Amino acid sequence: MTATADERADVLHKAGLDGQNRTALGRMLGTGDVGYAEEGADGIMRAEVRIPEDQLIFSPSIIVFPHGGDIELTIINDDKNTHCALLPHNGDPKIIWLVNHSKGTARLNLDGPGAYWYGSTTGNDEGRGLTAALVMGGEVPDSAKLDRPPQPRP
Amino acid sequence: MTDYVDAGEAVAHRTLSNVKGEAPATRNVDYDRIQGARSEPENWLTYYGTYDGQRYSTLNQITKDNVRKLTPAWVFQAGSTGMHSGASTYSFEATPLVVDGVMYVSGPDGKVWAIDPKTGDELWRYKHASPFDTSLCCGNVNRGVAVGHGKVYMYTLNAHLIALDATTGEKVWDTTNGDVRAGESGSAAPLIVKDMVVVGSAGGEFGVRGHLDAFDAQTGERRWRCYTVPKPGEPGSETWPDDGEAWQRGGANCWITPTYDPELELLFQGTGNPAPDFDGGVREGDNLYTDSTVAIDVNTGEIRWHYQFTPHDLWDYDSTMENVLFDAPDGRKLLAHADKNGYFFVIDRTNGELVRVFPFVDRITWGEITPDGKVTPKIYPDEEGVPVHFWPGPAGGKEWTHMSYNPETGLIYIPVQEVGATATRRRREFKESIPYWGAGVAVDLDDHYGFVSAVDPLTGEEKWRWNHEYPMCASNVTTAGGLVFQGTPSGEFVALDATTGEKLWQFQCGSGHHSSPITFEVDGRQYVAVPTGWGGWVEGFLPGLLGAAAGDALFCFALPED
Repeated sequence: MTATADERADVLHKAGLDGQNRTALGRMLGTGDVGYAEEGADGIMRAEVRIPEDQLIFSPSIIVFPHGGDIELTIINDDKNTHCALLPHNGDPKIIWLVNHSKGTARLNLDGPGAYWYGSTTGNDEGRGLTAALVMGGEVPDSAKLDRPPQPRP
Repeated sequence: MTDYVDAGEAVAHRTLSNVKGEAPATRNVDYDRIQGARSEPENWLTYYGTYDGQRYSTLNQITKDNVRKLTPAWVFQAGSTGMHSGASTYSFEATPLVVDGVMYVSGPDGKVWAIDPKTGDELWRYKHASPFDTSLCCGNVNRGVAVGHGKVYMYTLNAHLIALDATTGEKVWDTTNGDVRAGESGSAAPLIVKDMVVVGSAGGEFGVRGHLDAFDAQTGERRWRCYTVPKPGEPGSETWPDDGEAWQRGGANCWITPTYDPELELLFQGTGNPAPDFDGGVREGDNLYTDSTVAIDVNTGEIRWHYQFTPHDLWDYDSTMENVLFDAPDGRKLLAHADKNGYFFVIDRTNGELVRVFPFVDRITWGEITPDGKVTPKIYPDEEGVPVHFWPGPAGGKEWTHMSYNPETGLIYIPVQEVGATATRRRREFKESIPYWGAGVAVDLDDHYGFVSAVDPLTGEEKWRWNHEYPMCASNVTTAGGLVFQGTPSGEFVALDATTGEKLWQFQCGSGHHSSPITFEVDGRQYVAVPTGWGGWVEGFLPGLLGAAAGDALFCFALPED
């Protein structure tokens, strides 16, 4: 898994939106690093996300998956406070409790293409920055596409 | 630093609740049983209660005389946890179904529940993860499920038709039926016919090509697809520009459940607006089969006949709403349709011939339809950048919410919206998934009202009217107890005398109604159930209440047990 960083990070830092208790108490929704999942030979897409100390963020904040399907997400809480993660999943959302300095797993199934938010639903963590996204790429199967010539996209 | 504490594996959220996890097995619901649904009024087996769409129940324990004693038996709070799609358009729009003592109902954001209809206890739940980036014109809503063949069927926001085990809620199969990257989505309740499940597309505000599909109920394999905009060379294609691409983005979506005549083996599907909604300059012609009722052969998916209510629509006058089937005293097989354009149509359902048309709203300025069906547009967005005001607004004199027909009174009860709008044409190029309206639209913030209109479909005469300060934005249901139940935008759920329109009872549910009530019976006790929760396309049908209290509770009423 890799993370990308560009001058956007500098812009966020200058605005005081890249950490706790600066311009805002937490990181703004949709900011942060981007990571990519890796698909194993078993077809499961794996990624790792961390909660760094005193930042109240999931890092990377956005994880991109090549397509919809089964996901195995390793979640590590490096913070000195307790958090959790309520994650989207076909069937019912899944929740994991993450005490200080803990590590767990979430096995999820999500349709692609589609973008999903998740967050820590304790102590207004979501409002303070602990929100992040899982983005499933790809296209729907041909059988689900409209019978028409290719159309322009934005 | 020490090793990490083992946080284990994430668990389903429902495991940390009092949900039972399983519903009692019911008798199988199949095609024969749904055809005879009227003979088992204790249940509400299919979307409209019966295939004919009448939304009429022969239950008569709750009557004009005792309805004033009606009281809540239980309340089911749907609720939401964490982040969810469409938070600003959250609305509980569904029709609950009841089968042999189990209620099945869908909610916002991909949720389905099995509920004990006597107690309100949650038996099982399923939630389909709904991508936040699905193009939804009108909310994160779902209008209901189909139950049969041991399964519960739902069409998800991201256009997957899924089948769940009716006793556990576990997914059995999942068929992707729409292209979210093209702006397609799903919101309609599926319909079981024969050994198939039928469901239609949504996405008319994003320039998709509408369709109705039938699937094998056991496997999810598609049996047929009927496109409601023809390709060049197909019947109806002459109503589109022959040198353009307009048909490819033509709209005519099927986002409301069809009615069905088992003798004729025809589905009666209403179709949506053409795209772009308000800019007709890029799609000269009548634009078939937009704004129409199409009669579709259930065995083949072929269109047998059509009737178009608003040719070359320039006002967003979808005709997706229901086609109620009833027979005239002389046995003629008829179909009733109250259109967004403010006119009520009675049609011979064997051949699509117009029998009668008359206005059912007070204010119609967009155009005129003569008694013989001739359509003359009068006011429409034509010049770029010039605002045009018209009635009814794009939500229509009646939106998708359903009227009901009571065979005992011979009346149809129409929930009417009186609200206009201003559209200013703004041409834009088409791009997949981007709103494709061709205008800026502002619906009137005031100068609105509504009523329930009791109309004799055989004469067009309005027998009574129950007035309300707000447009009626919810379905109603009528019973052999001589009652009509109607929810209002301001939260009241009322019982009206089906013969006179007199209000006999009301209960304030705390949030506006934009759903479809039902009635059923368990252990000899009649109940009336209604989902509440103001939301959805409020900016379209009643922006004057855009800030009204939201909610997502299912209320169930009954007479006191003693």
